Parts: sequence; C-alpha cells; structure tokens
Amino acid sequence: MPHSILTLITFLPAGGAALLLFWPRTGASAIRNIAMGVSLLTLLLSLPLFPAFDTSNPGMQFEQSAAWIPSLGIRYHVGIDGISLFLVLLTTVLTPVAILSSWKSIQTKVREYHLFMLLLETGMIGVFVALDFFLFYVFWEVMLVPMYFLIGVWGGQRRIYAAVKFFLYTMVGSVLMLLAIIALYLLNGATTFDFPAILESLHQGNLILSPGQQHWLFLAFFFAFAIKVPLFPLHTWLPDAHVEAPTAGSVVLAGVLLKMGTYGIVRFCLPLFPEATREFTPFISLLAVVGIIYGALVAMVQTDIKKLVAYSSVSHLGFVVLGIFALNEQGLHGAMYQMLNHGISTGALFLLVGMLYDRRHTRLIDEFGGLADPLPVFSAIFMIVALSSIGLPMLNGFVGEFLILLGAFDADRTYAVIAASGVILSAVYMLWVYQRVVFGQVTNPRNRRLLDLDFREKLVLLPLVVLIFWMGIYSESFLRKMDGSVSQVLQHFRSSAVVMKH
Amino acid sequence: MRNYFPLLLMFVVVAATVGAIIVLSAVLGPKRRGKVKDSPFECGFQPFQLPTDRFFVRFYLIAMLFILFDIEVVFLFPWAVVFKALGWAGFWSIFIFIFVLGAGYVYAWRKGAFQWE
Amino acid sequence: MDGSLALEIPQIFPEIALSVFGIAILLLDTFLPKSKRHAATGIALAAIALTAVFTLGLVGEDGTFFSGMIVVDGFSIFLRITFLVVGALTVLASSSYATRENLAVGEFQALVLFAIVGMNLMAASNELIMIFLGLETLSIASYILLGIKRSDAKSNEAALKYFLLGSFSSAFMLYGIALAYGATRTTNLEAIGREIAAGSAGMTLIYVAVGLLFVGFGFKVAVVPFHVWTPDVYEGAPTPISAFMSVGPKAAGFAVLVRVLMVAFPAAYAKWLGLVWLSAVLTMFVGNCVALVQSNIKRMLAYSSIAHAGYILVAVATRNQEGVAALLFYTLTYALMNIGAFTIVSLVSRQGDRKTYLDDYAGLGFKQPGLAAALSIFLLSLAGIPLTAGFAGKFFIFRAALESKFVWLAIIGVLNSAISVYYYLRVIVVMYMKEAPDDWSPVAMSSSAIAVIALSVLGILQFGIFPDMLISLARSSVIGYR
Repeated sequence: MPHSILTLITFLPAGGAALLLFWPRTGASAIRNIAMGVSLLTLLLSLPLFPAFDTSNPGMQFEQSAAWIPSLGIRYHVGIDGISLFLVLLTTVLTPVAILSSWKSIQTKVREYHLFMLLLETGMIGVFVALDFFLFYVFWEVMLVPMYFLIGVWGGQRRIYAAVKFFLYTMVGSVLMLLAIIALYLLNGATTFDFPAILESLHQGNLILSPGQQHWLFLAFFFAFAIKVPLFPLHTWLPDAHVEAPTAGSVVLAGVLLKMGTYGIVRFCLPLFPEATREFTPFISLLAVVGIIYGALVAMVQTDIKKLVAYSSVSHLGFVVLGIFALNEQGLHGAMYQMLNHGISTGALFLLVGMLYDRRHTRLIDEFGGLADPLPVFSAIFMIVALSSIGLPMLNGFVGEFLILLGAFDADRTYAVIAASGVILSAVYMLWVYQRVVFGQVTNPRNRRLLDLDFREKLVLLPLVVLIFWMGIYSESFLRKMDGSVSQVLQHFRSSAVVMKH
Repeated sequence: MRNYFPLLLMFVVVAATVGAIIVLSAVLGPKRRGKVKDSPFECGFQPFQLPTDRFFVRFYLIAMLFILFDIEVVFLFPWAVVFKALGWAGFWSIFIFIFVLGAGYVYAWRKGAFQWE
Repeated sequence: MDGSLALEIPQIFPEIALSVFGIAILLLDTFLPKSKRHAATGIALAAIALTAVFTLGLVGEDGTFFSGMIVVDGFSIFLRITFLVVGALTVLASSSYATRENLAVGEFQALVLFAIVGMNLMAASNELIMIFLGLETLSIASYILLGIKRSDAKSNEAALKYFLLGSFSSAFMLYGIALAYGATRTTNLEAIGREIAAGSAGMTLIYVAVGLLFVGFGFKVAVVPFHVWTPDVYEGAPTPISAFMSVGPKAAGFAVLVRVLMVAFPAAYAKWLGLVWLSAVLTMFVGNCVALVQSNIKRMLAYSSIAHAGYILVAVATRNQEGVAALLFYTLTYALMNIGAFTIVSLVSRQGDRKTYLDDYAGLGFKQPGLAAALSIFLLSLAGIPLTAGFAGKFFIFRAALESKFVWLAIIGVLNSAISVYYYLRVIVVMYMKEAPDDWSPVAMSSSAIAVIALSVLGILQFGIFPDMLISLARSSVIGYR
C-alpha cells in the first residue's frame, strides 16, 4: 500500500474533473467513458483497502499528514478507521454505478455533468478521510457546490427551489459548526486543528471543557450533522432535493451524503463531548423515534414513488440515529451497518425509480400496475431491493435493524418498541407500493409495450444486488472490520465520561 | 472676557444704529408709487427678461479658473515675506508648487478651457 | 524646512512617484493624438509598478517622519501594496471600459493614480490633519471619477450624491478632529493617546470627538446607518469605478479607523466598542437582508459590500493584533473578488452599462463558460465557501472574534454569511439554470479585462487554498500594533 493511497483515492476524481474541463465539449461519449474510467479506477484503487485494513488496529490507518497552513495550525491529515473504511468504499462503489445509470438519461451539458459528478466524489471521500477539522470542514462545504449544480441544472421541475433549499439548509448548520471548530481550537491552546491531537489532549486532561462549553459545542456540531442526516424536524429539504435531483444525484445523495451526518456524529460528537451526549441522548432518541414513525407514515400516503423512497430515508436514518444514541456496542454496530445498508438499498430503489421514469416519464404510482408482466427482471430486482429495505432476514437490512433494535432495547425499552413498530410500517408502505406497481393486471395500456431492463441497466444494479445478499448472509466479513473502531469510540466515550464525573 | 466687552458693545451699538436707520426710513419716509417707478431701471428700455435668468455657463468656467490660478497669490505673498529666512528649501518648495500649478494651467489650455467659442 | 526633512523625502517616494506620473499622464494626454491616448494605461501601470518598488523599499524603515506626520510601519506598507493592487486592477479594467464608453482614458487613469495617492497618505498618516488631507485627495478624485460619464444622468447623480454626502461626512470628521484637538491640544495620534492616558484631557469632549469621527469614517466605508448613498452611487457609477469605490476607499477608511481608534483613543475603548459592535451587527443584517431582494446586480453588489463592511467591523471590534491582521487579509482578498465580479458585470452590461439586471445573465453559464465560471468563483468567494480567499478571510476574522470572546458577534457574522449565500447563489442559478434569451448576443471580451479576471481568480484560489503566506505577512505587518 503506498503511503499516499488515501490522497490518491480522494483526488483522482478531481483530476478526472480537471481533465474534463479541458476536454472538447462535443465528444459526449468520450466524456462518459473518461468519467466512468476515472471512477472505476478510483474504485479499483480503493478496493485493496478492504483486505489491507488491519482489523486488530482500532486506530487510524493509511494515515498521511503534512503541514498545510502552519500559521493557523492547519494540517493536511487523512486516515481511515473501521468507521470510515466502509463509507469510503460505499462512495467509490456508488459513484461509478451512478455515472453508469445516467448514461442515457443525461443528454445535455454532458461534460459539466460528469465534471460535477467527479468533483462530488472527491468531496465525499474527502469528508470521510479528513482528520483535520479544517480539512473536514473544507470538504464538507465544497461538496455542496457540485451537488447544488447537479440538482439545479439537471433536476426536475422545481429543481432550482430544491437546489437552493438544499444548499441553504446545510450552510446554516455548518457555519455554526465552523464556529464550534474554531472555539475548540482556541480552547485547546490555538495550536492545532488536528482531530486526533485534540482528542488526545482531551484524554490527557490538557483540554478540559466545562459542562457549559460541552453543551454549546455539542449543539453546534450536532445541529450541522442533524440537518444533513436529516433528523426530524430538520428533514424538510430532503424530499425536495431527492425528488428534484436527477437519478444519479438521488443515488449519491441518499447513498452517501446523508451518511455524512451520522458519520459526523459518531466521529466527532460522541468522543469529544461525552457528557453533553449523555445530556441530550433522551431528547435526540425521541426525535429519532418520531422521525422513524413520521417518515414511515408520510411515505405511506405518497403518490409519487420517488417521494415515497425519500420519506422512507427519513425513517431509516431515524433508525441509524437511534442506534448511535443507544450508546452501546450493538446499537453503534447496527447504526454503522445500517448506514451502509441504506446506501445500497435506497440507492438501488432510486435507480429502479429512475429506470421507470426513463421509460414512462412519470413516477406516479397510479400510472403503473401489473409491471411484472412486461418487466419481469425489473420486478424481480425491485422485489429483492424492497425486501432488503424492509429488513428481511438473509438480506442486508435485517442485520442492521436487528442490531439497532437490540441496542435500543438495552438503552430504552419504550423507544425500542415504538421503533420496532416502524419496521412494520416500513413493510406496509414498501409492500403496498410494490403491489400497486408490479402485481395485478396491466391497467395502463402504455405500460404493455415497455421494454425490460437492458444490459447496461442490469450492470448498474448487479453490484448492489450482490452486496445486498453478501451483507445479509455474511455480515461478519464487514462487522469484523468495524469492531475495533466502534469499540474504541465507545471506550473513549465511557472513559471520558468517567473522567468528567470526577 | 472683560477685554472683549467693548468690542461686543460696539457690535451691538452698530447693529442697533444701522437697523434703526433702515427701519425708520422705511416706516417714516414718504412713498409715491407708480407703474413706472415700480418697474426695474434698464437704461431706458422696457425690461425684456427676468433678472434671475440663467447666463452662459462659460462665465462659471472662467470664474473658476480665475479663482484657481489667483489663489496661488495667497501662498506666494507669505513666502515672499520670509524669502530670505526660508532659503533654498523654501525656494524649491514654492518652485514645485508653481510647477504643479503650471501643469494644471497647461492642461486647461490644451483642453481648450480658455477658448470662448 | 531643514536638511533633515529633505532626508525624509524617500519615505513618501511612493506618493511622489504616483503624483508625478499622474500629472505626466494628464499633460501627455493633451499632446498625444487621439489614436495614441491609450498609452495612458501603460504609463499608469508602469507608475504603479515603480511605486510598488519604492514601497517595498520602505520595508524595515519603521518610524515616524515629517515631525510625526507620516508613519512607516508594516501596517501602512501592507495597505499601500493593497491600494496599488486595487489601483492596478482598476487601471486595467477601466482601459477597455473607457474605450468602449468613449471616455477620456488619460484623465481616467490619472485620477485613479491621484486617488491612490490619497489612500496611501491616509494609510501612512499619523496625524488627524494629514488623514483629512489624504481623505480629501481621495474624495475629490473619486467625485470626478464617479461623474466621468458626463452625458449620463445616472453617473451625474452618483457623483452629486457622493459629493454632497461626502462633504457632509467630511464636516463631521473635521468637527471631530477639532474637538479632539480642543481636548488634547494636538492632532498627532500618539500624542492624543498620551494626553488621554495622562488624564489631562476632558473625556466628554473626547467621547464626542470619537463619535463624530466614527460618523465621518462610517460614511466613507458605508456602514449602517451611514450607508444610504452606497447603492445609488455604485449603481450609477461607471462600473470599474463602482469596483474601485467598493474596495479602495473602504479599505483606506477602515485602515484609518483602526489606526485612530487604536492609537489615539484606546482609553475610550469601552465607549467606542458599543458603537462598533452595534454598527457591525446592523451593517451585516441590513446589507445582507436588503441584498436578498435586489434585481439589479450592481445594487446587489453594493449591498453585499455593505455587508462585508460589517464583517470587517467585527475585526475592528476585536481591537487586537489578530483582528487587525484579519482586517488586512480581508481587505486585500475582498478587493480581488469584488473587482473581479464588477469587471465581469461591466463586460456583461455591454455598451452604455445597460444590461445590469439579473435576467441579463440567463444562460451565460453554458454560452460563455469561462466567464461564468470566473463569476461563480468570485461569488462563491464573496459567500465564503471554502477553498476561496473569501472563506480564508472570514475564517481569520471569526477566529479573531472568538479569541477576543466576541461570541455573539461571531455567531451573528456566520449566520449572516449563510444568509448571503442565497443572493450570491441566485446569480449562479440564473447563469446556469435558466435558458439564454433568443436574442442573446455574446459578451465582448477584451484582453485587459481578461487579465483582471484571470489575476483575480488566481489570487482568490492562491489565497484560498494556500493562505499561509498572506496570513503570515499580515500578522508580521501588525507586530507592535496596539
């Protein structure tokens, strides 16, 4: 493994984007090939991380650190542990899938589209590998720009509204986080923005945060992350952004962007502010549970499939947050696992919806019915993905939800029971929409002559379906890699909490 | 303050006297108004325009240029008075001053500011 | 004048060089045939380059000169260089503009040089009268520059408005200077500070003087509630001059404000802090909120420049070296992005400055991608998105604010910068997400405008991605600054 592997993975897509910038605009197919090639190369480079990752080491691996802005104590510091490893891989897997999925549907401004896709990939990977607070914030913000353009230029009817709303929501949250970052840096003696260094001085007792400071810093960080998750009631940007974004945008948005919020909570909020975390846990768990039920109920009454999937995300991410704030091994494992699951299943759902839309240019449930007849392969894959999203045993969703509920039950029974009913609700809306779209007679004559998935579309879905089964059947191969880092987060959390008590 | 009191007194007396003369003559003086007497005197002609009418903008320009180049005298006089005491430094200072002014003069001339038509 | 004074002349070589070249351009312009008058641009750039050499020659020559009227320190040198950068970009941007609009290039460039002289003197003065002289030199040059489009009613309106309000604010400032003099028997900033510290000055007079001076500077730098002239003036002015006005005099005004408040009136800190605090908050809110509803892009940028004055006031409020360094960093980088943005606005507005509305940008993103990308970078930088100099500057300011425990100012500041994202994005929305009209005509480019845009983009990215050098420079420039 070369020393700078993470840097290479992070900036390779940006390099591809720079190449596209100078590529003549006319060669659309060449542009697609370049973008696809670059994202596949990134995937290939990132795959060896998985076997090379040392399970016995809970700390950061593949680290690289160099001075960036020494006068402010800012370093270029990257590295991954068991928590970020899979999120990086999720990103590198989903990006080529997303690019391939828009092979046909994006016909205008092809160069710019792929340019932004690649920039987005750099931003997303950067968020997960950055270990310097400043660097993290830079990626966190910069990633907004390509996503904003993807929604705003290639999106649906109300794309501009959705794009601006998406940008502003995230921006409001993150500027407060910026202040919290600066405050943390100043409290630590204004020497470094390095996250491990700050964590270290917190554990060494060199940096002592008063309860009041913890309280406000936690809130500032959490607010930024909660908007991104999105936690009820900060979720209102999500349905708009999801529905208006082009298919590939929705896939990346649901698959990766939402995970940044939960990743941030696990990475920063828990270890840095254990006391405040305890203080807010009941409140946040309540919001998570409300989100689970609310998202499911709202999803149930949607007439637009894409909106339904969008609201189901609110519900699923509620599970993730509940798992995190169970503050125990099972809950956190489940949350981490469910983050990946949601990325894969919801990504796949958005792809399927996109494929329907490409054929009929509508996403209204009423327009469909009896698709099993003309579209057998589509219907079969839809079935698998829907069941995965519901959490059927042997499929990936089950492992995550089960672990989360286990953890939540340990932490607070009431919430666990209510959340469990959310699982049932998700089965209701998912199976119901499946029934209305796929089963029965073909009611709309225009659906009779639809063509089934072609080779490209099957290729797009194949890796996701494989992952759904693999993660459902042999979850150990993933959980084992996470184990050390997850335990360490909890250990940090507990030990700091003990220190604080004294 | 005491030193200034006579001065103040003088101002008051002067103002009072002047005011009294004007007011009294306006009040007490005989008045015989007529059409001819009320019309403005203009060398025997009937007035053919209002006295507040606009006049040619070039007059302003000339007036401004006059003030600009005339005001330099204000600086030259004090300099001339202490010419010896200031010596060469004073000479070069005023030289630069006149040079800058001369540049302005040339500029105004080349731009045609002195041309009437 | 004795021999020692003559020895001190090199300390004002930068200003002398600029003045001489300014006069030379004016005269040359009248002798050259019309076809060769664009030479003025080259001469002005050469003058600025020469002045930069002189200015850099002053590094390390710290001290006060001319009986304490002129001060040479890192602060004044940094600012002088900032003004030269502003001047060079303005000269470049206005050369093609003046040709397009049939304006006298020579006078334009000469006046820009005179304005820089005024700003330089302001930055380098250590004395209230000198400050006032510098300010008036700058103001008179800008009155004429604003109204240089003589046949254009809006340009005339801008010049007249700025003239009336400018003289009004000068009167306030003079009154403040007079009171400060009355209370301390000196106009030297350090001496004023000493007198106040010694307790021999009447504090009531001092407070009133500080208030009046703040009003005077407040007009110049356009902070609320003294900002009302800004949108009209920036809208009506020739666009390169709007750019110049929004960065040059603003930077100079802030420089002097900081110097006056920190050197002469540190004892009145508790009083003026309230003024600055309140004004900063109001300025940020009013600037950003009113900018939200503008449809004319020049007015929008005017309100945005008011908002940015608010961020800079936050740096003033901190009253420490870090804040002053942040102010230096911010004014320089803000100059780059604002001049860049205004230059593109001036290109897009076509002849006669007519197309300055948001709708005129529809479809620019894919019709002229380079131009639109540059404008996007400027706007994102103004909005404070990371990897741009605008972010580095805000980061630096808010860091200084938090360090001095101005938590609320920092919170209000960042929330405002989140608000501002909306109206900057609006331009990007129109450029990239709306279709171009059918009668769309391409924006004519000129090599000098391209140079301005390219330099600004490079500067923004350089100082945004690798701000270390400039931050260190700004910090070392304020060492010893109280």
